[in-house]
Amino acid sequence: MDDLNLLGPQLALLIGAGLIIIVDLLLPIVSRQAYQGRLPLLSGLALLAAAGSLGWSLALVLTDERGEAFDGMISVDDFTLFFNFLFAAVAGAIVLGSVDYLARHRFQGEYLALILIAAAGMSLMAAGTDLIMIFIALELQAIALFALVGISKNESGSEATLKFLLLSAISTAITLYGMAYLFGLSGETSLDGIASYVANTDENRSALVLAAVFLTAGLGFKMAVVPFQMWVPDVYEGAPTPITAFLSVASKAAGFAVVMRIFLAALGEGLITTDWAYLFAAIAAVSMTLGNVLALVQGNIKRMLGYSSIAQAGTILIGLAAVAAEDPQLLLGTSSVVFFLGAYAFTNIGAFIAIIAISHKIGSDQIADYAGVAKRSPLLAFALAACLFSLTGFPPTAGFIAKIYVFNAAVQADLVWLAIIGVLNSVISAYYYLRVVLNMFARDPETDEAFTPSPYLGAALAAAVVGLFAIGIYPTPLIEASESAARVFS
Amino acid sequence: MTSEVFNVYIAVLIATIFGFVLVGSALIGNLILSPRQKSPHKGVTYECGMLPIGRSRAQVHFRYYLFAILFLIFDIEAVFLFPWAVSFVELGEQAFYEMLVFIGILAFGLLYAWKKGVLNWR
Repeated sequence: MDDLNLLGPQLALLIGAGLIIIVDLLLPIVSRQAYQGRLPLLSGLALLAAAGSLGWSLALVLTDERGEAFDGMISVDDFTLFFNFLFAAVAGAIVLGSVDYLARHRFQGEYLALILIAAAGMSLMAAGTDLIMIFIALELQAIALFALVGISKNESGSEATLKFLLLSAISTAITLYGMAYLFGLSGETSLDGIASYVANTDENRSALVLAAVFLTAGLGFKMAVVPFQMWVPDVYEGAPTPITAFLSVASKAAGFAVVMRIFLAALGEGLITTDWAYLFAAIAAVSMTLGNVLALVQGNIKRMLGYSSIAQAGTILIGLAAVAAEDPQLLLGTSSVVFFLGAYAFTNIGAFIAIIAISHKIGSDQIADYAGVAKRSPLLAFALAACLFSLTGFPPTAGFIAKIYVFNAAVQADLVWLAIIGVLNSVISAYYYLRVVLNMFARDPETDEAFTPSPYLGAALAAAVVGLFAIGIYPTPLIEASESAARVFS
Repeated sequence: MTSEVFNVYIAVLIATIFGFVLVGSALIGNLILSPRQKSPHKGVTYECGMLPIGRSRAQVHFRYYLFAILFLIFDIEAVFLFPWAVSFVELGEQAFYEMLVFIGILAFGLLYAWKKGVLNWR
């Protein structure tokens, strides 16, 4: 039963998903009328599951319950708990952000259940300490996301799903190939076993490097970094906007969590060298630059945020490059990545929910159509502006602290050039983020008709905006949380 | 070291060469020795059996794919049940209940498909 207790946060999500499907299935038998108005009930259940997962994680923190479960398949430590909180909170926010979209949707139950299942999969990805477990978790979230991307069954949605499915399958195969190399060399699937093999042998370096490259390539798809970013703009544009938000925040964070888990826990001894730092530094520099330059010319705000998320992933990778560059900096680099992921979750969820609310009312995703939104809905325009400022990295927002943290890690690890590229890219990104803000505040709208977001969207947006200012002004708790998460690997 | 490795593969090499020679000599011998008589009956696709007349692209109803997916449920169930059936006595009570949960989830999947009308032929 101890194992089940440690798995509680994920089980809460999965049980919630099962309940939602059962209710969705049995409700029409009970009452046709109740079935027509099922959306509040189902979203309430989904929120309850997310809250249950958060509560269980909190209980694990408070009772100081840590340890391995299921014969070393998963490990519940500070790192796992941090991501449990992150994924459950993001899932809750996405459920809130989906209520408007779901109002006229056929597959309400399936949609909400799949979000919870995907969140459970991501959470297990962060918790997995065995290659088999990590792979199953990877598939659990990927398969749920395929269905979510294509759930609206229109032309662009189907195109997005197919691209996502095919490229994801290829990336999974590459990841699996890397895992097979690790298993073939060490004869172990547990990360601990691989770690002790890597630490105690000087043979087969080239095969180990090959495995690391395969894993970087396969998981780079999940993190959406250049050159594995081809799917991002089309899938982000074609998927329902709440799912785009989910992909850009949770799926990306899960990718980073797995990379940190595998590379720092299993390959940390000996393989993390300066060479490896340069590989990550190069990917980071290219991702930031390409993502930002391509975002400059986008007219569709979802595509723009897609490219911007590639650039942000590059910025996060700076932290990972810093981990590798110098051994004593392990803590600073890792914790900067974890902190950035937390701050980025608030920021990007906020930005996407504001876009859902605005686009729903003006009926367009084009940046040009955002002209004068500030005059029609000042609060929404302010919220979106705050999120975009945070993405750029202005004080006093979460994005500012996160970028300082990551750049500081890079400078401490003697990667000054990378930090400079990062700062230059922040300047480039200011142009396209602020263009949206300028469009909203300085231009005149076509109509003066005022609008407000629905209460669900408003609640999620308020939470995100308050969160990003709270982290920006008083970052200590999140910094402490990310440091204790990073300490798992030191 | 390397020469030893290649010594093992010499047998494969010889077998390969021998195979090519055997097949090649049979074909060439056939070409030289066989008498040739052409008749329309020798041109048909199958010497015995039906004449293949009509469109070659037979159509299969796409709804079969749903049945194929449902079949997978039972297929996977069987794949897991066989090793479980061999060893659940040693594994004890826990294994028994785990399998019950697993079958329960699969049964729920079938119930879901049934309720969504997958089993109705429209």
